[in-house]
Amino acid sequence: MARKTPVLKVTNLKKAFGPVVIVDGFNLEVAPGEAVALTGRNGAGKSTVLRCLVGADRPDDGTVEVNGVPVSETNPQIRRDVATVIDDLDFFPDLSVVEHLDLLARAHGIPDADDAVDEVLQEVQLVPQSGQLPGTLSSGQRRRLALATAFIRPRKLLILDEPEQRLDTEGVEWLAARLVAERARGLAIVMASHEPMLVERVATRIVRLGDRAEVLADE
Amino acid sequence: MSKKSRKLIRATPAADAGPAVPVAVPVPDEPERTFYFLPDAEPLPVDEKDLHAEMKLWRHGRATRTIGQVIQDSYVMLFSVVMIGAMATSVVLRAQGSLVGCDTESCVSGRLLLPTATLFACWALALGLARLFGPVLASAAEGSWLMDAPISRRRLLRGRLVPPLALSFGIAGLATGLVGALSGLTWLQVLAWAAAAAAGSAALVAFAASEQPRERVVVTKALQAVFGAAALGVLLVVVSVAAGWLPGSVVSEAGGAAWALAGVAAAALVALVVLLRLAVSRLEQIRRARLVSGGSLVSGMQGAMFALDFGLIRDILVERRMAEKGHVRPTRGAGLGLMALVWRDVERLKRNPSAFLGLAMSLLVPYAADALRMSQLNPLISGLALVAGLVPFLGSLRVLTRTGGLARSFPFKTAQLRTASMAVPAVLALLWGLAATPAFIGIASTGADRSVTNGLGVALITALAGLFGAVRWVTAKKVDYQTPMMATASGALPPGLIFNLFRGLDMVLLVTGPLILQLPMYWSLGIAVIVFVGLRGSFNMDDLRAEQEAAQRDLAAAKQAKAAPTKIPRPGR
Repeated sequence: MARKTPVLKVTNLKKAFGPVVIVDGFNLEVAPGEAVALTGRNGAGKSTVLRCLVGADRPDDGTVEVNGVPVSETNPQIRRDVATVIDDLDFFPDLSVVEHLDLLARAHGIPDADDAVDEVLQEVQLVPQSGQLPGTLSSGQRRRLALATAFIRPRKLLILDEPEQRLDTEGVEWLAARLVAERARGLAIVMASHEPMLVERVATRIVRLGDRAEVLADE
Repeated sequence: MSKKSRKLIRATPAADAGPAVPVAVPVPDEPERTFYFLPDAEPLPVDEKDLHAEMKLWRHGRATRTIGQVIQDSYVMLFSVVMIGAMATSVVLRAQGSLVGCDTESCVSGRLLLPTATLFACWALALGLARLFGPVLASAAEGSWLMDAPISRRRLLRGRLVPPLALSFGIAGLATGLVGALSGLTWLQVLAWAAAAAAGSAALVAFAASEQPRERVVVTKALQAVFGAAALGVLLVVVSVAAGWLPGSVVSEAGGAAWALAGVAAAALVALVVLLRLAVSRLEQIRRARLVSGGSLVSGMQGAMFALDFGLIRDILVERRMAEKGHVRPTRGAGLGLMALVWRDVERLKRNPSAFLGLAMSLLVPYAADALRMSQLNPLISGLALVAGLVPFLGSLRVLTRTGGLARSFPFKTAQLRTASMAVPAVLALLWGLAATPAFIGIASTGADRSVTNGLGVALITALAGLFGAVRWVTAKKVDYQTPMMATASGALPPGLIFNLFRGLDMVLLVTGPLILQLPMYWSLGIAVIVFVGLRGSFNMDDLRAEQEAAQRDLAAAKQAKAAPTKIPRPGR
């Protein structure tokens, strides 16, 4: 069977911080409907790989392409196609939970923004906090809001860095089910995770990374 | 006994079932541990003074340089301070000399009212800062380690009242005294104004300290609003007298006012003593959270100050205010795409009406500058005032510039995002320019004398300069310590650190420079267009680099294709 055209193509990615090489020659292709879980011990380079994938860090060498377009953090096409939840959970300090989702949905041109916001708010169980400002949310609620911002907008590729962090057990269960549903709808997912249940349920491929993001196993 | 338990018992072999066979059960080696318990004796009473002395000793122990070494290393700074001091003194003496012949109504009112406005502004500021920081504060570490111990908070913390009181006394006295001296008051009058400002500020800080343990802010807030409004009102009178809207007789003789102010200073000193005693007596009840929040704020702001990142200081304050607010009545947006961003900024105006107060105050500046015969420098002074007035309206631009994660969520180019975030402040700047036009045409007989068209042009250019200065200020990037450092007398510094000092000011100076130099207006307009293109991020280095890389890749691919031997397909047989 012919392999689908990859949504994400990473070729020979290299990244160093000063003399310390973090990623050395990382390659990856992710097709639509595929969910790749990056696993490995702390410091293996998972987060650095993900930051290069979304354009938050510039690779020293190698290429990252999403649907054939080289990744740049400022490219609107990439911003349209790639939804990310990586470590920096940034919010407007003066906008409430519901206003963040509303703004994002409208910025992406969602026609029934109000309905979409209500649905996503219910799903992430933040309805009681809809008027709260982000500075007063608990860390778990902030994580739910960050995940909601990824689900309220159109996307072809979802990049998540330890999305289970700070979520309660019920939250991790919900996240796993949600990501399985996303995958089933043809979305490509790349996530780094230390949660075996999430990896087992969501991932179609598990890429185990060693030092310098060397691929030890791709199964 | 339950059935299950009985079953279990039956399942185990009976003791008399046969001779017991010794089975070697591995027993884990338990390491021998000793535990320490406090002796059963009453703890001795703690002397807070000793505790303080010990803390001081630790801090001294950590010092790596003596005072002499520090002074030796910072000779450039000391030299600069001496130079600036000498220049300031010279300016004061010259101002005093030139104002001897000040006899017009606007000039007399300015002499008397500007120090009074400064006095009220200092009082409002002292209350605001006292409320923000505590005024009594403790670091997070002290909160964790000391406040748990059974010690007297009053004895431990009473020394903490000295720095805020001394600071408020000194700064208010100096600022008001300097303005009084620059306004041409006699030295005795300067002393009366300075004493009233200093003693009043210290008394108000003592009042805030007495309210801190009770966690009441209503009276403090009300007083702050009253003094702020009074400062604004006095400035309005200066402008009104200068413009001839009010007769000069509303302003009484400076000598009489000086005696009244001396009385105010004496009363404030008495109030300071009484309120200080009250504050100290209430310190015992102060909550740890109320102490530590001010300490955390100071340490956060200290970090930002070391990077001269004034924007970050503002971010910390905004975050804190929002955390205190906690909850808002959510509003639904309108429009799609970039329009949604602009609409959200419109909604923000309703949510944050206090920002308009700053903008209104900045509108007074061009009128005051014109009234005080500073028409030539008016675009620069007013542009800078507008920078301060517009910054609170650029919240979304600030967040989108500083946080990569949020900006990545929006499907727009950086230039589009920035332009949309500037839309509402640009409209406000335009309105400000229109409202300030009379000041640039000239309201006072001694001020500018421009035609209506010329005045309107200057006002609008000043508004543009203020807008661009504010945009430049909020879009400042964090200082990058990875870049090559510059060698300075104070050690190695990243170049961005120095430029942080001039952010905003540079844009205002660039755009209004031609006006100050009396060049034609189109020079300013031309510079404004170039500044706008730069500020909206049209030349984003990341975009340019990505485009360059893509072009290089295409070139390499084309070269490779050219180098590869061309295969000519054989015709099929």
